[in-house]
Amino acid sequence: MPASALLVGVIIIPLVGAVLTPVVGGRSGRAAGPWALAVMLVTSAIALMLIVHVANVGPFSAYLGGWEPPYGIELRFDEFSASTSVICLLGTLSILFSFKYAEKELPPERIRYYYTLLLLNLTGMIGFVVTGDIFNLFVFMEILSLSGYALVAVSGERTAEMAAFKYLIMGAVSSLMVLFAIGLLYALTGSLNMADISVRLAGAEKAPAMLAIAAFTVGFMVKAALFPLHIWLPDAHAIAPSPVSAILSGLVVKTGLLGMIRIYQIYYGAKVLDLSALNTVLVWLGAISIVMGAFFAIFQEDIKMMLAYSTISNVGYIIMGLGLASQYGVIGAAVHIFNHALIKATLFLGAGAIIYRTGYRNLTDLRGIGRSMPLTTAAISIGAISIVGMPPTAGFLCKWYIALGAVEAGQPLFAVALVFGALFIFVYYIRMVNTFYFQEPVHPEILEVEEAPLSMLFPVLILAALCLIMGILGRIPLSFVEPAVTRLLAPLGG
Amino acid sequence: MIALLWINLDYAASVVLFCIGLYCVVTKNNLIKKFIGLNIMETAVFAFIVALGVVEGGDAPIMGADANAPFTNPIPQALILTGIVVAVSTTALALSLIIRIYQHCGTIEADELREME
Amino acid sequence: MKRALTVALLVVVAIPLLYAVAQLPQHGSPMTPPYTHISPRYLEKGPEEAGAENIVTDVILNYRGFDTNGEVTVIFTSLAAVCAVLLGSRKGDERPAGEPSSSAVPVSDVVSFVVRLLSPLIAIFAVYVMLFGHISPGGGFQSGAILAALVIVTTVIVGRKQAEALVPVRIRRLLQVAAPLTFFVVGVSGLFLFGDYLAYPKTEGQMWLATAWLIVIGIGIGVGGAAVLASIFWTMGDDS
Repeated sequence: MPASALLVGVIIIPLVGAVLTPVVGGRSGRAAGPWALAVMLVTSAIALMLIVHVANVGPFSAYLGGWEPPYGIELRFDEFSASTSVICLLGTLSILFSFKYAEKELPPERIRYYYTLLLLNLTGMIGFVVTGDIFNLFVFMEILSLSGYALVAVSGERTAEMAAFKYLIMGAVSSLMVLFAIGLLYALTGSLNMADISVRLAGAEKAPAMLAIAAFTVGFMVKAALFPLHIWLPDAHAIAPSPVSAILSGLVVKTGLLGMIRIYQIYYGAKVLDLSALNTVLVWLGAISIVMGAFFAIFQEDIKMMLAYSTISNVGYIIMGLGLASQYGVIGAAVHIFNHALIKATLFLGAGAIIYRTGYRNLTDLRGIGRSMPLTTAAISIGAISIVGMPPTAGFLCKWYIALGAVEAGQPLFAVALVFGALFIFVYYIRMVNTFYFQEPVHPEILEVEEAPLSMLFPVLILAALCLIMGILGRIPLSFVEPAVTRLLAPLGG
Repeated sequence: MIALLWINLDYAASVVLFCIGLYCVVTKNNLIKKFIGLNIMETAVFAFIVALGVVEGGDAPIMGADANAPFTNPIPQALILTGIVVAVSTTALALSLIIRIYQHCGTIEADELREME
Repeated sequence: MKRALTVALLVVVAIPLLYAVAQLPQHGSPMTPPYTHISPRYLEKGPEEAGAENIVTDVILNYRGFDTNGEVTVIFTSLAAVCAVLLGSRKGDERPAGEPSSSAVPVSDVVSFVVRLLSPLIAIFAVYVMLFGHISPGGGFQSGAILAALVIVTTVIVGRKQAEALVPVRIRRLLQVAAPLTFFVVGVSGLFLFGDYLAYPKTEGQMWLATAWLIVIGIGIGVGGAAVLASIFWTMGDDS
């Protein structure tokens, strides 16, 4: 198989798999879960081959319909597109985790549509990170957003539907801003291919180009839930079913950030504007996000609400790294996109397993759970240590790199903000681990619950193990994205 | 600037429409009205992109025996066809959510819903 | 107060927006980048290399066919989303009192007569738009919308049960996925025959085949789109 056919396949196979899910799933929806799992396993295999290929030969393209760019649509797989791997990984594990969940919590009529939407969401994200055409990016963004809104509401609770509506309104407005910005870029360059736009934007009028990047930034920052555009996130992520929370928090939020990287690729290459003012704003908003997200998280009783606020905080780290526009900062940010996905999925799936067994969501109610569900709580604790950024785990190296990036960019103040944020995060995760292990249970029956079922425990343990492994092998992703970041930032230095 | 704006009046009109839509989304209390505001914004963006394709005296881009240049630009029209489908899909989902919210709460006024929480 | 604040804020936002769009290349001029860059090739060579005289059809189904592939997926997503939100109620779910009953308002004779009179014409028009999208204004989506409108007015007139009986559930399930599957089949044929996903024949002698494929995709999108829109309408009706 030529690489270009594989590159198309990594989008088309989950897409057709998703479309067939309601047919395969049947009335009871019982076959839908295994089918979705099989589709994601095949997709993961293809993604793995693509990543090996990009590591060997560097970025490569596929031209759809045989039309060379800019006349047709180009798919381009570069080092940032390697986030396909984490999309496939989390997708596969969340689908596996969903087996028991869907059986218990969802009306049977909805089960097959639940898996359909999960697969569509993953397809949308894969397409989003792989495409090299800016309008195609919008189309995939809509696939992933629409399925995301519906997945929040799928449980059918009143609060879930209201959270989904709020998410939909903000998400749709942000999509429109992105579309408006695409229109502006098209007006200035006459092209929709990212590489071509970057070349042709060089001589364009400054004011519309500036408006376009502003609209892109606001649009993608709503998707990424950067403070103060985060207000949709806590409700949506906390109320959604746990496997969906893992995908939304781990992956969907990151598409906003990856979209931002794509826009930077266009603008840095074009050198049409000096983006240092925008970057300053982003660094500041990132710093505020870190502190505010962590601050609000401390006061949450609901375990999933706390995790949701912690996502805002971590998005702040990534934005700060991107905004610093220094080699270390951007590398740290790019790898934190990957690592935070692993960590947050561990935490949300672990929390989901606990809620599945006990029915409680509040920390007070969950006191003493560590004694009855030792493996799940151990996995959550590993996730907690990682997200704080303790040295042997996945969270450490990227945060360290972002801090180095702040120093490199001559703004050591932000490194201080970063450490300060990490302290906050430390406080609330310590509180969580403390309630699990060291406090007397409020409800005596909590000591009686069983360990999570195997189909839930397995994904959680795999992810927790990966948090540790990525901490030890942390240099591999860092050196993997390095050439891409060097290419991205090269126009700034020269 | 006013002179330039006069030339690009179509674009200016869609900007104004965009702001009107945003106003509806932010201030309206009824969820359906909020959503209609969003639809106005969608229309504004579509109108903007379609206006990019207009050429003075242009004809529909359909080649045939009696077709004569200049033709309008086909690309924005094709893009907006996609955009419209996206808008329809979003509308369908939003209305379903509103139906469910009404069934649960008996109201779709945002302030009354907020009190219920 | 909130309104006044919003208006003030929007005015502040609108001024830079207006300033920026005023600097855009002149509206309607043939010298702007959108005219000089990619579209000339489409307009010039479209009929010879892409297979349709309607250049918009060439763009959506051939040059940028993958966008449309994504777009039919979006509309399928909305069907899955509506079903996931509306079908079935949660265990132990109770409806508030005062739920409006599902009694339909009786349809007036005038409306009923006009719909009965017009529906064959609407159907013919939909088929025309579907089959001639490559040489005249129209195409798959447009005809899908017309067909769906036909289904909806029929449902209003004859009632849900009779209207649904026209299309059995099993066939409906297949029709709903018709559009993405047509794309998949044509795309994969292109991959094996011409080496790229969604590739159509490009040489002079094979143009008839490209045109035929465009028509096939048009039919797939039209039928699939209509099925999805009608199903969304019926699913929404389920609950009230």
